[in-house]
Amino acid sequence: MKEKNFHAIHITKDKCIGCVHCLGACPTKAIRVRDGKAQIIDELCIDCGECLRVCPYDAVHSHTTSFAALDHFDYKVAIPSTVLYGQFGIANLPTEILSALRRTGFNEVYDLSSICELNCAATEEYLNEHPRPRPFITSTCPVVVRLIQGRYPALCGQILPIEPPREIAAKILRTILPKALNIPPEKIGIIHLTPCPAKMVSINSPVTLNKSYLDGAISIRDIYPQILNALRKSEEDALMRHLFPETQFSGIGMGWSLSGGETRGLKSHRAVAVSGIRDTMRVLDQVEAGLLQDIDLLECTVCPDGCVGGPLEVENRFLAKSRILQLVAAAGERAVVDPKDVSRLYHKNFLSFDHPVSPVGSRPLDSDPAKAIRKAKRREKIFADLPRKDCGICGAPDCRTLADDVVRGLAHVDDCPFVKKEKR
Amino acid sequence: MAAEDVYRQEFPVKGGDFAKAGTVACRIKELLKDLGLDAKTVRRAAIAAYEAEMNVIMYAWQGRMDLAVSTREVRITVDDQGPGIADVELAMTEGYSTATPEMRELGFGAGMGLPNIKRNSDVFHVDSQAGQGTRLEIIILTNGHKP
Repeated sequence: MKEKNFHAIHITKDKCIGCVHCLGACPTKAIRVRDGKAQIIDELCIDCGECLRVCPYDAVHSHTTSFAALDHFDYKVAIPSTVLYGQFGIANLPTEILSALRRTGFNEVYDLSSICELNCAATEEYLNEHPRPRPFITSTCPVVVRLIQGRYPALCGQILPIEPPREIAAKILRTILPKALNIPPEKIGIIHLTPCPAKMVSINSPVTLNKSYLDGAISIRDIYPQILNALRKSEEDALMRHLFPETQFSGIGMGWSLSGGETRGLKSHRAVAVSGIRDTMRVLDQVEAGLLQDIDLLECTVCPDGCVGGPLEVENRFLAKSRILQLVAAAGERAVVDPKDVSRLYHKNFLSFDHPVSPVGSRPLDSDPAKAIRKAKRREKIFADLPRKDCGICGAPDCRTLADDVVRGLAHVDDCPFVKKEKR
Repeated sequence: MAAEDVYRQEFPVKGGDFAKAGTVACRIKELLKDLGLDAKTVRRAAIAAYEAEMNVIMYAWQGRMDLAVSTREVRITVDDQGPGIADVELAMTEGYSTATPEMRELGFGAGMGLPNIKRNSDVFHVDSQAGQGTRLEIIILTNGHKP
């Protein structure tokens, strides 16, 4: 399963009818319709899941971990995204949700909010020690990392090199559990519960780690019915959780899945939070043009409103957000992590990237600069003759992309139904 | 250099059109990436183009940016009809700005525009007639060594 060009998003050919919904939705113009079916161009896809959201025929499939894949582990651990706490009714406290999750077949489950707080404290320390460059960009959203690698290569060095909470949590558990349980490390499965398919990509082909500390990611949508079932069957359990809560949730980390949640705990730095793929690209364009240098930290999440808007959720994101905001308010500013512990882990480089983010896959029109110039001129000429209706009938998302495909030898100008008509 | 080896494109810029701020610089950047220029050169050009575009939007009535790319250099020529710059030398000083308080409130007018263009280009000429307009000539060599 570990591949270099792993993608979590695939088209199910039997279901695809070759319409144009996904073409227009794709922010990197990675989809073409060929022979009546959508195809994803591997090197352009960043696994954002926009196509998944818009496909009316359920033809976009996201590849996440199945329950069966966990069978070969002797000890199964789940660390759910804090998004999970917003997926159920208002009466279900996070402790109950975690307890219900455990009963779906995990030996242990861990809350991520404390690790989110830890990440925030480490980020603060990193910003204190590194006055330049500005702004640094957070790496929690794997799509943002891939977007920067492909489209904003000059910004690779501005990604703040602290691993996101899910990886830090898995790394800590991987360090302590084998000894504590006396179980061989390879027999312990550490699974993330994810609201988006991109986490699967960051696990299978990590950008900044030699190997991910996670063994997989189960979609919240897939596991939802089982958690709901477990919640329904457990009134006594609920009462116990209310009276004897086990987990100390972090007030600072609880809102991590909402846009602005990653930076809310910063004490002495100016942060800006952006969410949604189009707005993220707009702001990254500005950063590449030298703007926002008075901002210390830029939080970008490509899902609307943050991870809470992930495509693999069940609850609508407005309700989920309202629920999480209530939990944030209830937890207040409660800190559960000792700053000394954070500082020690930080200075041991326990929280750092294994290696920096490097650019990938630039796609010039031609490797020979003189030929590239000629092709760019030809592209403008071709584009001038196209109707600019961006209808997608040719199989490309818009006229400009068709012109681009033509000079790259990937399409023919006659693919455009309007150009043909005029010639006749 | 043979004419067919230069890519040319012109972009109109409208004074006061803050809603479109940065779109020309962005188009130029995408184009330079397609032409296979390295990330550093593209970024220098993007920063210079952005500052030049903003100058037209903030101060001039209208203007035009002409892009000419050869294998050797990226050349951006900006012509605007506007108030012009009374004292070019002063305008090249970091921190000097004639921006209005409203512009500053929007985060513009820090007095870094022209110095920033100079820092990110290999050749930079400013030619201005007070009351008529300004012409900027920006050249970024594709093998440039500036940071």
